[in-house]
Amino acid sequence: MAEQGGTAEQSKTVEEPKVSAVELKKRAKADKQARRAAQKEQEGAPAEVPPATNGAHQEPSAQGQGVQQDQKGKAAQAKGQQQPKPSKQGGQDVRPERGGPSQPQSIPPRSKAAPAAPSKELPKRDNSVVELLSHLYPIQRRPNLAGVSKDVHPAVLALGLQISTYEICGSSARCVAMLLAFKEAIQAYTTPRDTSLPRHLVSHHLSPQIDCLRSCRPLAESMGNAIRWLKKLIVELDPDKPEHEAKDFICEEIDRFVHERITVTDQAIAASARNQIRTGSVVLTYAKSAIVEKTILQAHEQGTRFRLIVVDSRPLFEGKRLATSLMRAGLEVQYVPFSGLAHVVKDATLVLLGAHSMLSNGRLQSRVGTASIALQAHKADVPVIVCCESVKFSGKVALDSIVLNEIAPPEELLLSPIPEKSPIHPAGVATTAVTGKSAVTVTSAAISKDASEDDEPAKLKTLHEWSSISNLRLLNPMYDITPAEYIRMVICEYGSVPPSSVPVVHRLANEGM
Amino acid sequence: MPSSMVGQTPSLTGFLKSLKQNDIENSIELFISLLKRRQIKNSRPCAIATTHLLLRVVAEPKRKWDAQKLIARVRNVGRRLIAAQPREMAVGNIVRRVLGVIREVAERDEDPLTDSEFSGSASPITEEFQRPALPTRFSEFSPLHGAAAMPHNMHSGRPGTADSVSMDLGGTPQRPALLSTNASYAGQGPPGTSLFSILQHPQGRSPVATPPPGTQSPVTGPSPSRRAIGGEIPEKLDIKAEVIDGIKELQDELDVVDNQIAESALDHIHSNEIILTHTSSQTVQKFLLTAARKRKFTLFHAEAYPNNHEATHVTILNGAQGEDDSDERWKPLTSLGITVILIPDSAVFAPMSRINKVILAPHAVLANGSLLAAAGASTIALAAKTHHVPVVVLSGVYKLSPVYPFDTDELIEYGDPSKVVPFEEAEFTDKVDIVNPLYDWVDCDLVDLYITNLGGHAPSYLYRIVADHYRVEDIDLNAKLDAVAKKG
Repeated sequence: MAEQGGTAEQSKTVEEPKVSAVELKKRAKADKQARRAAQKEQEGAPAEVPPATNGAHQEPSAQGQGVQQDQKGKAAQAKGQQQPKPSKQGGQDVRPERGGPSQPQSIPPRSKAAPAAPSKELPKRDNSVVELLSHLYPIQRRPNLAGVSKDVHPAVLALGLQISTYEICGSSARCVAMLLAFKEAIQAYTTPRDTSLPRHLVSHHLSPQIDCLRSCRPLAESMGNAIRWLKKLIVELDPDKPEHEAKDFICEEIDRFVHERITVTDQAIAASARNQIRTGSVVLTYAKSAIVEKTILQAHEQGTRFRLIVVDSRPLFEGKRLATSLMRAGLEVQYVPFSGLAHVVKDATLVLLGAHSMLSNGRLQSRVGTASIALQAHKADVPVIVCCESVKFSGKVALDSIVLNEIAPPEELLLSPIPEKSPIHPAGVATTAVTGKSAVTVTSAAISKDASEDDEPAKLKTLHEWSSISNLRLLNPMYDITPAEYIRMVICEYGSVPPSSVPVVHRLANEGM
Repeated sequence: MPSSMVGQTPSLTGFLKSLKQNDIENSIELFISLLKRRQIKNSRPCAIATTHLLLRVVAEPKRKWDAQKLIARVRNVGRRLIAAQPREMAVGNIVRRVLGVIREVAERDEDPLTDSEFSGSASPITEEFQRPALPTRFSEFSPLHGAAAMPHNMHSGRPGTADSVSMDLGGTPQRPALLSTNASYAGQGPPGTSLFSILQHPQGRSPVATPPPGTQSPVTGPSPSRRAIGGEIPEKLDIKAEVIDGIKELQDELDVVDNQIAESALDHIHSNEIILTHTSSQTVQKFLLTAARKRKFTLFHAEAYPNNHEATHVTILNGAQGEDDSDERWKPLTSLGITVILIPDSAVFAPMSRINKVILAPHAVLANGSLLAAAGASTIALAAKTHHVPVVVLSGVYKLSPVYPFDTDELIEYGDPSKVVPFEEAEFTDKVDIVNPLYDWVDCDLVDLYITNLGGHAPSYLYRIVADHYRVEDIDLNAKLDAVAKKG
């Protein structure tokens, strides 16, 4: 057995580079099975979550929401490296309690480590997943730097952190920032000896950058289109071109892309849209769209006298930033929370909206709440105009806001605690900003949870203790889909089109036909 | 100035305690100042306070009332209370209910001697008010008798003294019916066209409003047209006693309204439903709690930022509040196995395609079936309409106002802008106009069902409930009473 184990181990180390991926996958799967079985053992009764979402629950356990799980998994794998081979060969070491359907690779020692982790984590995980949207979990926001691949360029890493904390927020901004970061990453790249730039750059250099950004926050549609364009550009390069020339060419092309498809496009859209704003107009807008801001500032510079209504919502309060910048530019601004929408939409004469992306069935995907704005405006007979660059046009279609969406961390919904209500949460009081600082709020929530266990029973729970209540979920979606019938017109660089023309523009602009 | 309130936060319970100690004028002044300063807010506290106050007004010791003086007194007080806070419609509703009680009692007392089996109505009052006589006087022998005349018969036959009749009725407690003997709904037909009415009442009587028997509040048992001609001598005292009884019935109604609404919960919520609601309404919480005992469902709860979100969070985490200001709370829905999902207000459209039902609680319900609810309700109702999701509104009858919404903007109250942006941000609050409306007007087309303490109704039926509970002459409290009436 030892000899067998020895030779097997040698063959294992030789095969390591090739087999390791497959091996790791198998081990992860066996891990999952072990933990699920262990959990069933522990809890006895079947879990209340239906089997479909069990997969989702186990997914995070496999991928690891934080770093600790990765390391734990790796440690367990390192520890149990000897074990899978005998069990794989023997296959009979199945513990009788394990009720899993097909468990040829059950790993007895690992199960001791495994139950400790799920029993503490699973109640928390159960309670943070809204089952209707379980396909959108786990929520991707990387709060720290550990566990990042070595290939990721520091500029991209920095960008990832900025994106995940909403420092850079907004589809166009993220796209431009991403391309600029990629420029730096490409300049820092050197082709290995036995391959050529067009073949190697995309799959081995660009992909880890993209994965890093994706783990910080799901990619925007504009970023997706830009990446597709960039990959196509690189792959079609002449392989005989010297490396530095090729890299310079790529960087110039990126600059041209940004200039043509975002900078100049924004000018064109603003020039076209500002004609919609006439003297005496009351323009209503929602959250903060860079292109709408530009339009309004241009119209104001032109001398048109109009006033503005900005509707805002929790938790990001982007509208407040827009209102502040426009107020400083000298505009007359009225600022309304989302609940005041029905009241102010009667006064509006025009609604200008920005977009995250336009879908091919004419629907608009934009900040959550936009659909309600468009709905109220439609009911009040106020025209709704969407300003959207063609780089945001998408080939996807969606019928509801549930399938294509992004869920933000529920901790962003927590309010800063009011001192007199929760005097025993000192860490909570220290937390001032709620938006985006997910790492800090997670820590404070954890601390306040511990402190709350010392409460007298009469004390009322605050929202910071939400995770201790098993049936309570906080849902913080980022986008919603506005039906096409509420949108009067979409202004892009190709002109002003009805929403039904989106697939045509998409083919023209993004697919080059 | 009332000294008993010094040192306490002014609120409903403080006011109720002080009612016992203060004299009436001071209590009225205190209530007016509480209303003006919005230290007493929301329909139910205002309704409870108004009821107690009017009880004190009517029960003024050593004061003998006759009907007209009492009506005038209550109208005066009511006018002042409504002027203190016109958008707090529950105050006006209770004043009008009390006036209805008084008129009811007065009509009964002034007409104790009608022997005719066709149940004479209050002809003196009819003559005094010079109202046109209305048709639909059905004889007892007509097949339509049960539909139309019975409710009238129930209370018109009552004599002046309440006590003897209550014995006669075999123990059913005698309650002053709040049905108007003058029909007070809008659609009044031409007078004297019915054959029956010509046969029965040559001088013309006003008929009864005709709701189905089961939907009166409070309900009187059907009484045959017995005429125990009791003593009319203590008439004036009886008015006071009976009106006091009537107001106490009102108080009881306010106490049990949530329970009565919750009784129909199981009829409207099935298993595995996904329900959307909004704000921290205790009525909705109790309704859902009643359903949660037997059904499992999911609840999306919109938090109603910035005016109600903290109360909503507290309600979700800790359960609905018991009696006002008490420490006891009901169980939270999550502890009964209901999954509660808290969403920001901007996210109501997104899951709406999966929602089965929307449940709202109003601030006030208007006579055409539209409602005033917390801000954000209009967006929810519109989104529900778009997705063909039924909207259910839970409200006690005390929230139903006889006012028609001719100018919906007038009905919206504005709240504190510092809840949106605190005043510390001086530059922003200085240059930017911050608007924080507290209520939204939701049109009657958007509502599918009203569940009140009398059961479920379509919005188109509410005008009849208004007619049952309020008198036309009470709707506008600023109108002068008829000169003739004033003589009485």
